[in-house]
Amino acid sequence: MITLLPTFRLSRPSTLEDAFAGLADDGIAYVGGTELVAAMQLGLISPPHLVDLKQVGDLTGIREEDGLLAIGATTRHADVAGSELVRAQAPILARACSLLGNARVRATGTVGGNLCFADPRSDVSTALFALDADVRLRSAQGVRTLSIEEFILGAMDVDLDDGEILETVLVPPPTGAQHYLRHQPTEYPTAAIALVQRPEGLRVTVGAIGERPQAFDVEGLDAVEEAVAGMLEELDVIEDLNGSEDYKRHLAGVFVRRAAAALKESIDG
Amino acid sequence: MDDAPDNETVISTRINGRRINRRIENRLTLAEFLREKEGLRGTKVSCESQVCGACTVLVGGEPVSSCTVLAVEADQAEVTTIEGLGTPAGLDPVQAAFADCTALQCGYCTPGFVMATKALLSRNPDPTREEIEHELEGNLCRCTGYLPIIEAVQQAAARIAGTYDPHAAHRPYAGHLKEDGEPYRYVGRPVERVDARVKVTGQARFAIDIPFPDTAYAVAARSDRAHATILGIDTLAALDVPGVIAVVTGEDLEGLYPRFGHMVPDHAIIAIGKVRYYGEPVALVVADSRHAAYDATRLIKVRYEDLPAAMDADAALAPGAPMIHEDTYSGDTVSLVKVVRSTDNPNVANTIDLGWGDVEAGFAEADLVVKTETYHPALYAFAMEPYNSSARFVDDVLEITSTAQHPFMVIKDVARVFDLPHSKVRLTVPFIGGGYGSKSYTKVEPLAAVGAWASGRPVKLDLSIEESIYTTRADAARTTVRSAFRSDGTLLARDIDIVLDTGAYVDNSNTVLSKATARCFGPYAIPNLRVRGRLVYTNTVPASSYRALGAFQVNLAAETNMDQAAEQLGIDPAEIRRMNLVPRGERFMEGKRPMDTDLVEDFDELMALLRIEPHDGVLQAVGFGVGANEGGAYPTSTAQVKMSPDGSALVLSGSTEMGQGSRSVLTQIAAEELGLDIARVRVFQSDSSGTSFERTTGGSRTTTMTGLAVQRACRDIVTQLLSMAATNWECAVEDVSHVGDRIVHADGRSEEFGPIIKKWYGAGGGEITGRGTVRREGELQMQPSFWEIGMVGVALDIDPETGVTKVDQLVTVADVGFAINPVGVEGQDLGAAVQGIGGGLTEELVYEGSQLRNPNLVEYRVPHINDAPRRFDSVIMERRDGTGPYGAKGVGEGARIPMGGAIAAAVARATGVWPTSLPLTPERVWNLIQEGRRRQDEHPV
Repeated sequence: MITLLPTFRLSRPSTLEDAFAGLADDGIAYVGGTELVAAMQLGLISPPHLVDLKQVGDLTGIREEDGLLAIGATTRHADVAGSELVRAQAPILARACSLLGNARVRATGTVGGNLCFADPRSDVSTALFALDADVRLRSAQGVRTLSIEEFILGAMDVDLDDGEILETVLVPPPTGAQHYLRHQPTEYPTAAIALVQRPEGLRVTVGAIGERPQAFDVEGLDAVEEAVAGMLEELDVIEDLNGSEDYKRHLAGVFVRRAAAALKESIDG
Repeated sequence: MDDAPDNETVISTRINGRRINRRIENRLTLAEFLREKEGLRGTKVSCESQVCGACTVLVGGEPVSSCTVLAVEADQAEVTTIEGLGTPAGLDPVQAAFADCTALQCGYCTPGFVMATKALLSRNPDPTREEIEHELEGNLCRCTGYLPIIEAVQQAAARIAGTYDPHAAHRPYAGHLKEDGEPYRYVGRPVERVDARVKVTGQARFAIDIPFPDTAYAVAARSDRAHATILGIDTLAALDVPGVIAVVTGEDLEGLYPRFGHMVPDHAIIAIGKVRYYGEPVALVVADSRHAAYDATRLIKVRYEDLPAAMDADAALAPGAPMIHEDTYSGDTVSLVKVVRSTDNPNVANTIDLGWGDVEAGFAEADLVVKTETYHPALYAFAMEPYNSSARFVDDVLEITSTAQHPFMVIKDVARVFDLPHSKVRLTVPFIGGGYGSKSYTKVEPLAAVGAWASGRPVKLDLSIEESIYTTRADAARTTVRSAFRSDGTLLARDIDIVLDTGAYVDNSNTVLSKATARCFGPYAIPNLRVRGRLVYTNTVPASSYRALGAFQVNLAAETNMDQAAEQLGIDPAEIRRMNLVPRGERFMEGKRPMDTDLVEDFDELMALLRIEPHDGVLQAVGFGVGANEGGAYPTSTAQVKMSPDGSALVLSGSTEMGQGSRSVLTQIAAEELGLDIARVRVFQSDSSGTSFERTTGGSRTTTMTGLAVQRACRDIVTQLLSMAATNWECAVEDVSHVGDRIVHADGRSEEFGPIIKKWYGAGGGEITGRGTVRREGELQMQPSFWEIGMVGVALDIDPETGVTKVDQLVTVADVGFAINPVGVEGQDLGAAVQGIGGGLTEELVYEGSQLRNPNLVEYRVPHINDAPRRFDSVIMERRDGTGPYGAKGVGEGARIPMGGAIAAAVARATGVWPTSLPLTPERVWNLIQEGRRRQDEHPV
């Protein structure tokens, strides 16, 4: 009932090779700790060995890579939010990172940690689902790239093998106007809506409501109103102290409509 | 050169500019490292879940939650804590702004807010209110209601930019004149809190910051059952943990009086024979370190046999309900409140009946009868400093440092445990990190003392917030009000039934019940009244006092009932109140003080300011309410003032400073009475072996009761000085008088106090002591000592599509007789009202099965900075009609009373449906909106 940490070993490798060696030695990846240390304090996990990835240079930073926006997994939320490159290439991701948690979480927590923890209410994953992002995973054995949808399997569940780390988030070039809207009357968002215009229409992503973000493709902004009812029917909803299933389903509709109106206004205005 | 063992790391860091190298345990958090290894105790720990921000420090200039960040993160980094900013003599601009704007009360959150503000202003030197709210959303303050903090951040920005104008900073305040036409110099005007500078610099020390030398640490193992017989406890594995000194269970308390409870000693220090709620201590581990004690608690194995549990009052009152207490404790009762156990149900801990007139006749005469039933949930007061206590035995004296609001009441409980005379228990209470009534009476002191008794070591017992939630909550209440009205709105009779859920132990809930029964019908003149109150044991967290105890729970039903009557009679809801409010001088409760103020005038002030500011896209409505507390608790107070031969004054008071500003008010009173500059007065509070007796610090009583005692002690000093001066000057005492900071002779000679004392004693001088005593006599014969009035109004904005409700405007009226420190009065009203916003909109302890679903600040939602009202109007009524010094009355609880009902009424007006319970969460409001629409469709007007 009190929150003292169990004992653990800590290693702080500066190369990927050493990081993998650490992970192979009962290690678990550790960066900002906003989720991991909190989970350890709650007694949910007690890993014997924390492998701090912050000094592995290959894992941090924001850059362009083959036309993609590449964000190193250990990049902090505040750095993503403040990056000109991200603001230009993936404005909803910058926005999501500027809003999530609180000032301390944004200054400490990282994109990779957030994704690997796979909290259903993650703003980062909502934005990345909306952007059709990929994640590059690396292990001593090699590299594989998954779509964010393939990576995030469900609540607190990701496709990450033992000894493997999330190395880079890869965001494709912008496809059109974007908008991010979240509803957060309590500590975490109750609903988060990301809209992204694409050549083939509009992608509507509803986050924070189900086990993982849920994306819907509609013909365009003007088709949103007609499509909302169908979306809500399909929506997977987790009930909690913030609301019943019916209420949250209703909220999703409200905020999809509001996001669409805001996006329309930003385009028209 | 990392030659540390596996679970340790060598770090090299700069803390506040000082380079240090340390080998530390990996599991150490940065907060533990800073506080316990480096002695930097300005950084505070509260929620331990990254929500509250009390632990905010800067690492590399960035704000972090030091309670969750590992200490190893300080390696190769620059760490700045509150101690790295200014000092009381040379404040940093942010600290200066917080002190100047009174953006603090208890001060426990202040270091975190100051550090967060530093980080914010370094990125954004001129933030808007919205930007401030966004960046400080992760910092909680439970005292101030946030608006002074927003003002302080803006002032800090101006100070840094060089645009700060001290003359334009605050609202001007006129002050008061004495009977002789001269202005008061120190009372009746805003002063900087005397504790502001130590609090903004992190130098203020709270109980949690003060371990005894060579202390051991205690951690409790707690029940994971709601109701179960203890078959056995295996402590062997725990005792084997390196560093463990002792493990104490209920069985080990043989020879001691193993229970406490100032009213009903029903509360086992450590569970004996059975557990009565999830979270109850079943064993206490004492060890060299907190980590060792904690690790050992996890190895304690308790064998239980489950008993059926009664998780709410309905279940506890049902036929065949499990019996929670087999004993009636009747032989040990020391209660001031008469305890009447029900004969039909053993779970009824107390019953109170109250009434007068002929209720049936009143109802027979009625044109309209309105019945209202409401449920007020259990709340957690969330004082940011968790319950904690240190204890040791020294020279046959049990010394305790704790967070107790009422140290002298706790002494009685603890002395009984060890059969010690009261004189051999010393209880010291430094600054308290928030109380709000939740630290009234005994909490963890016996547990810490038993740890010291069993281990032979000083023991420090710090609860986490989760453990604190599992220690004391506020009573839940089901209230049914039936009222008889004449068609013009006149109240003819009220018939009220109250059921309070006190949880597993009574604590102070007998008083909560007595207050609930006395506060559920007024302040209205009611010719015929019947109130039945029952206090019910359940297998949940023990309940006790919380700001406006008993009153806020039942006021919801009482005021909703008035609003519903107005609606049904077609009368303005303000008018129905004006019509029934007790006039000045009228006795509305038998045997009690007649109403001591002009309620209708107060109410008119409120209504004149309350207004909707039109906003698009929201449902808007106002709600308002009134209430009255019996203020002052029991009028027993003492104070001493010692004057040294340098002429400075030391005021000794057993009252406590928990943020309410008592130290400042008592300083102002002493300065005024003695004519001394505030800087030459020191108020020293709450050390039972050093200060004089104070009954309690609660019931909004310190300004009035303790204030009177201090005033009388100062006057005693003046009398002594006059006599000494007359002796020195060899004249008659009639020839000398007290003017300013001197004693003056009729012939024009005068002398300061110090030289008079020196001359009188000769050779170096001595010291004089003034005594002030307050007892139930004279003006205080009639109780209560004053009526504490609560009057609030809110204008709400409700999002019709989501139900999200925001308080756009808050209006409070403080009827204080004489505002000794007007800024403090305003701060008390705003703080109490914003706690009421929490109770009205978000706060509720929710049980799921045997345990709480939300025993943490992530899921128990208290108001954040963006929940503060957009507009705030504070009215201070000063008619100098109180029984306290200068005509003062107490403040601090009033505004909390009617907030729930006011919010509920506004929601009802906006939605068309009367809520029957709080809090009005977005979903509940949305449901009311839907229900309102359905009714509208069925019966269009």
